[in-house]
Amino acid sequence: MKVLFLGTSSGAGKTTVCAMVCRRLAQLGRDPVPFKGSNLSLNSYATSDGGEIGIGQAFQSWAAGVEATSDMNPVLLKPAGNGVIQLVLDGRPCRDITKSAPMEREEVIGHVTAALSRLESEHGIVVCEGSGSPAELNLLDRDVANTGLMRAANVPAVLVADIDRGGVFAAIYGTWRLVPDDVRPLLRGFVINRFRGDRSILKSGIERMEELTGMKCLGILPYEFLRFPEEDSLSFAEGKLEGEDPRAAFLSNLDEMVQHAVESGFDFDALLDIAGSGSSSRGHPEGADLGIGREHRVHRDRRAIDKIKVRVRAEANGADGIRYRPLRHIVRDPRNRYPGHVSRNCGRGYKTIACAGWDHR
Amino acid sequence: MDCIKKKVNEELAAGWIGSNKACAYHPCHFTGQDCTFCYCPFYPCNDTTFGNELTGKRGNKVWACSDCLFIHRPEVGKFVIARAKELGIEQAEDPRFRDIFIEAKQKFYRRGRALMVVGATSDAGKSVTVAAICRILHDRGYLVAPFKSQNMSLNSKVTRNGSEIAMIQTLQATAAGLKNPDHHMNPILLKPKKDTVSQVIVCGKPYADYDVEGYYSEFVPGPGREIVREHIEFLKDRYDYVIMEGAGSPAEINIYDVDIANMRAAEISDADVILVVNVEWGGAYAYALGTVELIPEEDRKRIKGIILNNVRGNPENMRPGADRLEEMLSIPVIGIVPHADVVLPNEDSVSLRGVRMKGKGKSVIGVIRFPRIANFTDLDPLFLEDVSIVFVQGPEDLEGVDAVLLPGTKNTVADFLWMRETGIEAKLKELWKKVPIVGICGGYQMMGRVLHDNGIEGGVERDIDALGFFDNETSFGEYKKVILQDEGHMLVGDKGEVTGYELHMGITDVREEPMFIIENRYVSGPENEGSVRESELTFGTYMHGVFDKPSFRRYFLSFVKHDGKPVERREVEDYDAIIDENLDKLAKVFEDNMDVDTLLRIMGAGE
Repeated sequence: MKVLFLGTSSGAGKTTVCAMVCRRLAQLGRDPVPFKGSNLSLNSYATSDGGEIGIGQAFQSWAAGVEATSDMNPVLLKPAGNGVIQLVLDGRPCRDITKSAPMEREEVIGHVTAALSRLESEHGIVVCEGSGSPAELNLLDRDVANTGLMRAANVPAVLVADIDRGGVFAAIYGTWRLVPDDVRPLLRGFVINRFRGDRSILKSGIERMEELTGMKCLGILPYEFLRFPEEDSLSFAEGKLEGEDPRAAFLSNLDEMVQHAVESGFDFDALLDIAGSGSSSRGHPEGADLGIGREHRVHRDRRAIDKIKVRVRAEANGADGIRYRPLRHIVRDPRNRYPGHVSRNCGRGYKTIACAGWDHR
Repeated sequence: MDCIKKKVNEELAAGWIGSNKACAYHPCHFTGQDCTFCYCPFYPCNDTTFGNELTGKRGNKVWACSDCLFIHRPEVGKFVIARAKELGIEQAEDPRFRDIFIEAKQKFYRRGRALMVVGATSDAGKSVTVAAICRILHDRGYLVAPFKSQNMSLNSKVTRNGSEIAMIQTLQATAAGLKNPDHHMNPILLKPKKDTVSQVIVCGKPYADYDVEGYYSEFVPGPGREIVREHIEFLKDRYDYVIMEGAGSPAEINIYDVDIANMRAAEISDADVILVVNVEWGGAYAYALGTVELIPEEDRKRIKGIILNNVRGNPENMRPGADRLEEMLSIPVIGIVPHADVVLPNEDSVSLRGVRMKGKGKSVIGVIRFPRIANFTDLDPLFLEDVSIVFVQGPEDLEGVDAVLLPGTKNTVADFLWMRETGIEAKLKELWKKVPIVGICGGYQMMGRVLHDNGIEGGVERDIDALGFFDNETSFGEYKKVILQDEGHMLVGDKGEVTGYELHMGITDVREEPMFIIENRYVSGPENEGSVRESELTFGTYMHGVFDKPSFRRYFLSFVKHDGKPVERREVEDYDAIIDENLDKLAKVFEDNMDVDTLLRIMGAGE
């Protein structure tokens, strides 16, 4: 499973949102791992296997509770000044990029997709981060971090849009429109970030976006007065950072952010839905693995119920006893075919499904 | 009336004088004005395009036309005096003046047109684009006025007749060469008090506090629209062009129908629209396309051009993307403008976001960065000196500062309690008498002994013991505000000139040595202002803009020592002259990188 977080601009909050998602998915036992195809940054980090990656991915790896490796950031571009950029490939310095010797997509895309593939096979879900905006018209033919990656590895994507500066709907719609036709269907959702005030005011705008683009709004994240590691000079951060160990302090801030996200109703289930919806070599294309022994809140009216199919033991069905059934069958279950799968109302239209008795993988 | 007639007779005898640069008040209306008829020969013209009738205190009717600039237009002044001479008119009472008036109006008067600049986001560069266009048109001899229907900003200024408007509109008026910006240029000003509540200033005076919902459900559909319409019409009657500035994004579809700051204002004034996008954060093409396409068709057709602004690196690199955008939208990209390295006051706290330190000078001034910091443009002139500024958010930021400045704030009580909570108050008491401390407005109030609040400022009725550096008491009682322009002299230091403006809720009972003697133009008699204790290195005043003129600036800095050495003297700089220079620089950057001919054609300016 994999999902790519794209930004409507630099500084939209992709890095931090990815870190937050890694943190939450780790808490949910989903075994996440971070990834950024190509990173332009002078703030780098040394991995234990002697490689160099961007600090954002290191932070995300701490959040996910995994060791940072060079696979997480196969292409790192470090500006050296005077139009020269050092190319760090698979964690090792490779060559200098200049105007006369530019980086071509063909040169690196193979390394990028290979790294992504390795991570996908080793972990439950790859949380990918884009770079800048996917709609920079003059950069589209060279891109390996955004639409280039989507195309090469069939990665579904979610847009992160910063509302604090204004024009958030224009940003979401405009980005969706400018993304190349062949990869646009992979744009499945959007997140509104850095919101302050009364969120009911956004409702009509969000509905219109969903109508126009078919993307789903995964959530409205509040403006955080917390400090996180910053990737580049455009964002010289303010914010709270307390405690003696900076890594622990950043993670504690991240936990606060996770809490705010959960409280504000961020739809992690829909996110997993999207992540599972790209094609992959394992697993049912429309299936979502719901972990054993865990409860999942599912809104009874959501399209997800129709889309998600889960593996259930259905004893009546022959030798292997494993079948895919739409979630709505489990939820509504008029003929009591799935005893032991508890489905109870927990208010506001949600049902809780306990997966005890369901097969995991 | 008689004195006017007398003056007109003198003017008729004197003949054409063009711009009277020898006059002490010159230029009192706009740069390049014609002063032949300082007193208008047409008075009272009774033409409602140029003025209106007021009822005086004793019930008498008075013709009021102080905003009219017609007779001061160079071509008009010249024409009228020549005509008068031609017809042999020597007396002001001559009825033939009426004919000249009709002739002049016929020949030279044309109703103004509006051009609106909207931005894809906040901080897109709308304000500087408007300022640049104002300067470009002014240089070509047009009379232009800036306009922003609704501005949300804590940086406001006071105009000559005591109205409060956004500072940025006064800057744009300066770019246009105008000397008397007024509330017509910014009829609605929102000053945020908390996350969702703002004080709403209408026509320069405080009107009420509104929260977001109340503002859009009551104010906008009610008085809001009419206020905008009235003031646009007023400006169109008197100026060749009204350059309007939008607010935020024009494509906030969730509040589209109630937004009077953007396309509704464009509709009310029948304006052509230019969209400005800040390229600095990336995604510019997406923002441009999304903004245009989300705007409903009937408003979208007003958009006549796009400017890609603030490009770092070679603007030519953006041309292919710009061409593609033009193709998709059928709207020309009329400018790809590089980052303009100019020094101009900034509009709102967004531009302060993330800034820790500013300036490259040796002496360090700690400025307390209140959560509701206001009028921080007060600090700008300090950068003309060998000074750098650290924005203090916690007591540790005050380590090693050479001086402290407590700036203005929208909420003195709340921000003072914030200082107490964060430990800054305690640290300031430690620094007292060791480094110079200056307080402006809210900061000055905090330096006093006590703050009496009846609830109107901090929400709860209470008395708060303040810093105690001065033996002053400040009371927040009524919902009333002091709004004044100040001019005067220092009572200490070199006794030099000082100017500024006051904007505050709360009245202070001052019991200290005054620092200034000022004359508020519309209040009788000179008054003492401010507090100073030189031996304790404490200074306080209500005046914003107090650092603009060099006298007080030098005076304060003479007490600031870095490593035992006083602040290095720089050549005395007049901040206003610096601003004007930078406006020229800005206009040049735009002219060099924008298709000015297309812009003029869009505006119907021919030439």
